Amino acid sequence: MASSKRKKSRSAQRAEKRSGSTGGNDMKRFYMVLALVALVGVGVVGYSLFSGATSSAVTAPVEVEGLDDPTTLLEMAKGVEYGNPDATVAIWEFADYQCPACQVFAGQVKPQLDLAYVETGKVKYIFYDYPLQQHQNAFLAARAARCAGEQDRYWDFHDRLFQTQGEWQFSNSAGRGFRSSAADLGLDESTFAACLDSDRHADVVTANIRLGNELRVNATPTLMVVPEGSMPIRLSDFGWPTIQEAVEGALASQ
Amino acid sequence: MTLGVDDTIEEVDESATSPPANRMAVALLSLVALLVSLYLLSHSLGLGGPLVCGVGDCGVVLASKYAWVGPMPVSGIGALGSAALLLVSLMGLQSRFASSSHIALLLLAGTTLGVAFSAYLTYLEAAVIHAWCQWCVISAVIITLCFVASLPELERTRGSS
Repeated sequence: MASSKRKKSRSAQRAEKRSGSTGGNDMKRFYMVLALVALVGVGVVGYSLFSGATSSAVTAPVEVEGLDDPTTLLEMAKGVEYGNPDATVAIWEFADYQCPACQVFAGQVKPQLDLAYVETGKVKYIFYDYPLQQHQNAFLAARAARCAGEQDRYWDFHDRLFQTQGEWQFSNSAGRGFRSSAADLGLDESTFAACLDSDRHADVVTANIRLGNELRVNATPTLMVVPEGSMPIRLSDFGWPTIQEAVEGALASQ
Repeated sequence: MTLGVDDTIEEVDESATSPPANRMAVALLSLVALLVSLYLLSHSLGLGGPLVCGVGDCGVVLASKYAWVGPMPVSGIGALGSAALLLVSLMGLQSRFASSSHIALLLLAGTTLGVAFSAYLTYLEAAVIHAWCQWCVISAVIITLCFVASLPELERTRGSS
């Protein structure tokens, strides 16, 4: 009997049931499309996972033109300073936020230095980034501190980085930890994240590394006492007695 | 009236034996949503390469505190939800569940939850974070399409168990 609805034999229906789902051919085509989408998608996500970079944030030194020229290098390299700007003696520290010895210096020795010389206005302290190549998160940490500096919280972030070093030093998501620290410190998260997830300050950090290389920095932390108008005097270690002796000597010579 | 051999069985509506197209659509869409969520999740966990973000500012959105619910990235919740939708819709394509109203209800409930969550996240992007992430917008569009595709399923399976 002719009808708009097709009639099917029992054998055809049984065959469909055996196929495990309705409309065997349609289902086959559907599963093929699904598998294709899954393959392409897994490929893209996989490529993203194994493409090497950890985020769009710059995490390593960049190409900066002109650093071979000493004048340009001195213009480009910029430490972060605090203390009396008119002090005639400066202490330069070349340090790496991921270096354990730098953490020890920051937590145990620097407070004495601050108390005796910086807070009394006798000495100004200047921190130069010197992230070591073998420390995977050190360059990003240096940039993160400078991103915090954009919101006038450099030193708070500096201290925080050393205090939390164990949490982020080997992390594959250090950036997330830095953003979390920024939030804890009350920084504007969006501004901080936009800075971190870019190449901002990568040039200055790179220039600081180059300056350190030119000054023969070969370990972190490296401390230098710099009397006004004189060449930097590199200290043999970062112990308090060594620092005290060098600073007293420099102050006496002024 | 005399009936022939083929006329001895009931007339079969073609739509009853064809795979439910809406469920196919939900399965395909939720697979795409799952992949998008996994892509974002890899970045939230710091595992991915540079995040491709041609439109908007994904970095700002993913760095905001709203990108995490406790220890779980929002993209992780998206991945779990999409995987569940994919599973249910694929189950609903099997012949014994093809007319199941329970599956239809599950799909509708899941996509409704997804739409509500996406609407909240879209509101956050627009009014709180003031930044857009193209992947989040794409996810929101996909879950809305899943919801639209799930609606007719309820009517189609009415009366079935």
